[in-house]
Amino acid sequence: MERVTRTSGPGSDSGPALEFHDVTVAYGRRPVLWNIDLVIEAPGLFGIIGPNGAGKSTLLKAALGLVPLAGGSVRFFGRPLDEVRRRIGYVPQRETVDWDFPVSVMDVVLMGTYARLGWFRRPGSGERALANACLDRVGLADVADRQIGRLSGGQQQRVFLARALAQQADLYFLDEPLAGVDARSQEQIFRVLAELRAAGKLVVVVHHDLRTAAEWFDAVALVDMRLVAAGPTAAVLTPENLRRTYAGPLDVLDELGRAIEQGRRTP
Amino acid sequence: MNAWLSEQAAMHAWAIATAAVVSSGCALVGTLLVVRRMSLLGDAISHAVLPGIVVAVLAGGRPGGMLVLVAAVVTALLTVWLTQALKSRAGLAEDAAAGVVFTTLFAAGVVLVTAAAARIDLDPSCVLHGILELVPFDTVRLGGFEVPRAFVTAAAVFGLLLAAAILTWKEQLATAFDPAAARAAGIPVGLVTTGLLAATALATVASFEAVGAILVVAMLVVPAATAELLVHRLPWMALVAVIVAVFAACAGYLAAWWFNTSAAGMMAVVLGLEYFAAAVLAPSDGVLSRAVARLWLAWRVTCEDCLAAVWRSEELAADGRAEAPTAVSLWQSVAFRWLAASGQLVGAQGAWRLSTRGRVEAETVVRSHRLWEAWLGRHTELPLDHLHPPAEWIEHHLGATVRKRIEAEVGVQESDPHGRSIPPERK
Repeated sequence: MERVTRTSGPGSDSGPALEFHDVTVAYGRRPVLWNIDLVIEAPGLFGIIGPNGAGKSTLLKAALGLVPLAGGSVRFFGRPLDEVRRRIGYVPQRETVDWDFPVSVMDVVLMGTYARLGWFRRPGSGERALANACLDRVGLADVADRQIGRLSGGQQQRVFLARALAQQADLYFLDEPLAGVDARSQEQIFRVLAELRAAGKLVVVVHHDLRTAAEWFDAVALVDMRLVAAGPTAAVLTPENLRRTYAGPLDVLDELGRAIEQGRRTP
Repeated sequence: MNAWLSEQAAMHAWAIATAAVVSSGCALVGTLLVVRRMSLLGDAISHAVLPGIVVAVLAGGRPGGMLVLVAAVVTALLTVWLTQALKSRAGLAEDAAAGVVFTTLFAAGVVLVTAAAARIDLDPSCVLHGILELVPFDTVRLGGFEVPRAFVTAAAVFGLLLAAAILTWKEQLATAFDPAAARAAGIPVGLVTTGLLAATALATVASFEAVGAILVVAMLVVPAATAELLVHRLPWMALVAVIVAVFAACAGYLAAWWFNTSAAGMMAVVLGLEYFAAAVLAPSDGVLSRAVARLWLAWRVTCEDCLAAVWRSEELAADGRAEAPTAVSLWQSVAFRWLAASGQLVGAQGAWRLSTRGRVEAETVVRSHRLWEAWLGRHTELPLDHLHPPAEWIEHHLGATVRKRIEAEVGVQESDPHGRSIPPERK
């Protein structure tokens, strides 16, 4: 009889690519995201949509352990974050870094290989070849040696995407990758994301533009301090759901949040 | 006589070598502090380690000894921890919190060192200002040579810092550039930052004997800030910072000896002069190169305006409404003369005409101007009389590729919104 051994590759994953289980996130003591319950399967292009201040970016940061959970849990491929960190790529908002920082485009893309290298090892020719290939995929091979501050906004965003590609992850989080990005870069970015989906990856994108959401994402979640709706794009982006998402923060959650922050009861 | 002289020279050489090594370590650490926008924390740490040092010396440690180094690192981390605690618990802004913590700790150190001055081998003024000139007199035997103890400490600390920088370079780089992404990728950002703070404390303490607590912040910040003006890659920045620091150590010491003044003070002054020189002379962002670029732009704009003025007057002349352009400023009359001398204009003052080459230039400017008016007219709701001023400015900045793109967008047009013809592309 043949024995089946399970390896540690993606084949052994025992759960969905991403699962939020009753996640609540608080800044200080004040909850800003309430009871998010959401399961997302790979492959796919998944959009997280909602108004400003809805907690979309916070949801990504909470999943990545960058802000602590006040309650609930997040699992990736059925496992906790610490076991699968290297399989998760993260593209933060472009404004979070100082673009005058003295590094070249190549330096930044190579950073995607650092986690895999581990302590005390430097990126070698293999990593450089990989970084070059990633730059090529986002159409920036010809600016590899340029200081990052001399790029356009769209090019900077593509450098960030190339860094995540160099990580060779199975799950990608992108925070507003299209904010302030020219049309050509937008197209290039979405072509790469579609390639990732075709390769079996899950790509989760925080996105603000409703107009493009319907055409780009397979499935979306509407978020405004809580999960309003999630599922296939056409089924979720209904006028009723959008009205509930964009009606402004729910009074009760707002009141409660402030009461919890100040350690008192609501009126 | 000769032996005495060479002994003098050796003394000075040791003092310079110590200063150079000490400030190299500070420059190396300072590079990371400056790019992480943590210069203020470097300042805080360099002051706040003082009580730690005094306590260690009171407990029997020797200045520059292991116990003192460890105590300094511990105090540095305590400073940072206290600052963070004040920030998160008491709701103080970070700069205010750092200001409260480090001045209090530094003051405590000053009180301690002054009160205990009689009992311990730690001179208050030496701690505050450093006495580089005395460094060569306190020596240890090392491999048959008498080597100043401060130099041995400084060299050991520098070696340690350099090794740590090389070994953890990529972690430091990733954390400095994008801490959130680094953390998400599993790099222990907190540990990496703590390491940098400990390194700052070590570099600082190793410098105390040479330059003192007050001026060490100059060694931390100024070389890196100077390097940042000159190069745009982190490894180069570190190297240039070290070179800047070593130069200041040598030049500062010699200048202090010549003028018979404080060596540490003179080193900091030289650092300041180096920064000033870099700010003025830096190849791309320097004051001088920017001034030259502005001047060159102003000259190009004037020349293009003069050519365009002649072209327009010729256009009007065809309608019988001729009005010869004349220079209204000295700057313009110089431009007209230069354009004539370089063969773009022919004729004389008051009756300039375009040469073939000048016509190409002039038509390009007028074409840019009128294309831009057409583009603005299409994309904005500006009234007709508001189109000219922006076009006067933009005409000097449009290149052939974008002109072509604009033309494709507005369609090849016979005329601009004012009904005047747009010259064809000549370049």
